[in-house]
Amino acid sequence: MIRRLANLFRVEGFKWIAPAMIVLVALSVYPLLYSVKVSLTSASGAFTLAHFRRLLDDRILFAAAWQTLLFTVAALAIEFALGLGLALLVDSLGKARGFFRAGLLAPMLLPPVVAAVAWRLIYNPQFGALNGTLRLLGFDTTRLTWTSGQSSALFSVILVDIWEWTPFLFLLLSAGLQAIPVEPVEAARIDGAGAWRIFCDVTLPLLKPTILLALLLRGMDLVRIFDQIFILTQGGPGTATETLSLYIYRTAFRFSNFGYAAAMSFVLLAVATFASRRLIRAMGPRRA
Amino acid sequence: MTIAVNAGVEGTALKAAAQEWGAAHQTRIEVVELPYANLFEKEQLDLESRTGAYDLIMIDDPWFPRLASNDNLAPLPHDPDADFVQSCLNVCRYPATTGRYFALPYVGNSQLFFYRRDLFEKLKLNAPATWNDVLDAARKISGSEKMYGYVMRAASGNAVVADFMPLLWAFGGEVLDANEKPVCDSPAGIAALKFMLELGKYSPPGYAGFNADEVSAHLLEATAAMSINWPAWIAAMDDPSKSKVVGKIEFARMPNGTVKGVGELGTWVLAVPVASKHVNSAFEFMTWATEATQLKQAALRGNPPTRRSVFQMPDLVARFRAFPVQLASLESARPRPRTPVWNEIENAFGISLSEANAGKLAPEEAMRNAARDIAQVLARAK
Repeated sequence: MIRRLANLFRVEGFKWIAPAMIVLVALSVYPLLYSVKVSLTSASGAFTLAHFRRLLDDRILFAAAWQTLLFTVAALAIEFALGLGLALLVDSLGKARGFFRAGLLAPMLLPPVVAAVAWRLIYNPQFGALNGTLRLLGFDTTRLTWTSGQSSALFSVILVDIWEWTPFLFLLLSAGLQAIPVEPVEAARIDGAGAWRIFCDVTLPLLKPTILLALLLRGMDLVRIFDQIFILTQGGPGTATETLSLYIYRTAFRFSNFGYAAAMSFVLLAVATFASRRLIRAMGPRRA
Repeated sequence: MTIAVNAGVEGTALKAAAQEWGAAHQTRIEVVELPYANLFEKEQLDLESRTGAYDLIMIDDPWFPRLASNDNLAPLPHDPDADFVQSCLNVCRYPATTGRYFALPYVGNSQLFFYRRDLFEKLKLNAPATWNDVLDAARKISGSEKMYGYVMRAASGNAVVADFMPLLWAFGGEVLDANEKPVCDSPAGIAALKFMLELGKYSPPGYAGFNADEVSAHLLEATAAMSINWPAWIAAMDDPSKSKVVGKIEFARMPNGTVKGVGELGTWVLAVPVASKHVNSAFEFMTWATEATQLKQAALRGNPPTRRSVFQMPDLVARFRAFPVQLASLESARPRPRTPVWNEIENAFGISLSEANAGKLAPEEAMRNAARDIAQVLARAK
């Protein structure tokens, strides 16, 4: 152990990693430590735990945390199911797969703000394309208020996220499918396994590392969801679509309460880290 | 010199003035146009950290108490002249009304009441002098025309609060009393919210998510007959390329309730950060840009002026038919409560109002929640 530590601090090694370390400390470690300090400092500059105490008694924070959880779980589950389904479908298309792959990626290439503005127009209850199309098809759209409805607002923003980010999961899973060697699949087929059996016992286990990576990357993005909701609903009606990132942003930059915003950020960081580790443990490679 | 302005008509007019002044004084002026949603945070960060990044900043008046606190702004070298509309001048002082002047008013915004004069004449309705007239007209128009009688914005936050304040005031209610205690859950406040929900019955479905653009789209498309709105939308109403109601919309002062109706003030003011490296030049430009001749130019570029003399210029009155009523409304307009924590209060208040409009909370419960949340905001600020 002591030798290991001594090796770690050998001057020769430090010299080579110093540039990267300096950049890391300046851009990552220092802001992190500074935000710890801010979260423990009152407006008058004194040490305080008040920001962390407030976390236990903030109804908007609880609403935001619940909505963030709902948003993340629902969007991740649906995007994964659709992404995997599309990846399997396109993978089976042979020569046409390149064409479909390019087409399916289009929503992801739009900047999220542009996509959100477009959807805001689409969702407009009176002038939007969605209700307009439904009216043409003979549906009564009087009650379809989408982002303005207390019960439909969260569903509406989840729908936008699914539309925009399913291609991301499709892309990763599609790459994972292509990397699977053909031999185990052919061996299973020779042994008489059907398509479903091959999918469950060969494809899915071999795809597991890619699935883990895809869920982790997308899950972390979903927990931090901000831009779409900021444009589509601003967290409303009431707090129906308020999420943690939006509330942290508002607290820091609209209410100028950087201490409380920093305290909430640490909670978000802790939750994201915990969830990621659980996911890795559940799906990662088992160690003997 | 560097100037931070709102990315919109307010900023465009000041940018043009800055270019003219810069050329005449051989001074390079950089105008940073920031979206409304980001302007406050950029200004706040600059002022609190004393970076001196901006030499002149454009401030929406509800932000002023926050930005002027902690000696962030440089006091004016001279008091402004009496030609400025008094309500606009009052919001340039810190502490409010009695303190020193730290800003000059540049854009004289106050809410107006927009209504379809042609429909009122057709249905033989009296001009909306009271909120009961408005409700009565909304009911009749919704019943007889293929349109909504009223449209309002009730999206969470600033939008719903801005449309509720004239109702609250007209019913004799307040958000805070003279001792800065929340009183929005008073009988008058609850009655005002009940009235808002009654008006909501004649508004398009989904109004609980509407902002200014949706409200104005309904007026422009002739799908709604009345709304509270801001002067920035007047030009669009009479623009044939955007509007189906050219010449049909009348602009009026806010209807009365149990007390005289007043609109909300939304003045944009100019101020010099104390950390500016060009304080004298900034004050010189600011004084020049708010002179009557320059405010006339700004009016021609789309900004309501803040000087009485400009509102009364015959050529401008001939060109802008709403100027007389705009001046009358501006003179009586009320600012939002002058507290540094207004942004947070507005957010808390807006959540409860939005929940009531979306049908989640009853008016009494919404106002009780709002009063409780506002009290917590104020307690934390002490």
